[in-house]
Amino acid sequence: MFRAIRPASALYRNAAVAATTAARTTPIRHSFALNFARSYASAGLNRADIEKRVLDILVGFNKVDDKKISLQANFNADLGLDSLDTVEVVMAIEEEFTIEIPDKDADEITSVAQAVEYISKRDDAH
Amino acid sequence: MSTAPVRRSGLQQDVIALYRNCFRAARLKPEANRPHFHAFIRMEFRKHSEVKQRDFATIEYLLRTGKRRLKVYSAPSIEDVTI
Repeated sequence: MFRAIRPASALYRNAAVAATTAARTTPIRHSFALNFARSYASAGLNRADIEKRVLDILVGFNKVDDKKISLQANFNADLGLDSLDTVEVVMAIEEEFTIEIPDKDADEITSVAQAVEYISKRDDAH
Repeated sequence: MSTAPVRRSGLQQDVIALYRNCFRAARLKPEANRPHFHAFIRMEFRKHSEVKQRDFATIEYLLRTGKRRLKVYSAPSIEDVTI
């Protein structure tokens, strides 16, 4: 009988501890999230950096006329790239930022602005 | 600047997916030889650029052969290509 009581009381105590820690961790978790956001921003992936690296990829692409490259450029309309060239540009972006872009998302990227936008949303981009 | 998403036919989508898969497969090759594979992939696709968009039978045939060849060239024993 003594044995039966102990686990029960232990269980109760654990539940009480869990309840108090849960109450305590709520604000703590919040500040943790803030810290995380801050460390991510300091990783060096700011917008200007992303923009520069995307433009550099296009400069390295010898089908593209360097003078036409801008942040507003559309791969097809402005840079004269067709759908296959666009695939290569997106693949180069994948390698540059060490991310894997799913086909569905890759098909949506048709301009420099869209590429920059997409990378800025990816937390795992380097 | 911002454009409406391009509407592509399923077949066109398949060709683009194959092109992408080819480049992904090329990543697994020795780094020094990757440009050879890239040039090879481009050449093999551009070869058929005059195929008409409505020529479904030809495109489907080329897709099938392309997929089969991708499988063959994906073998790790193939480390380089010459054009």
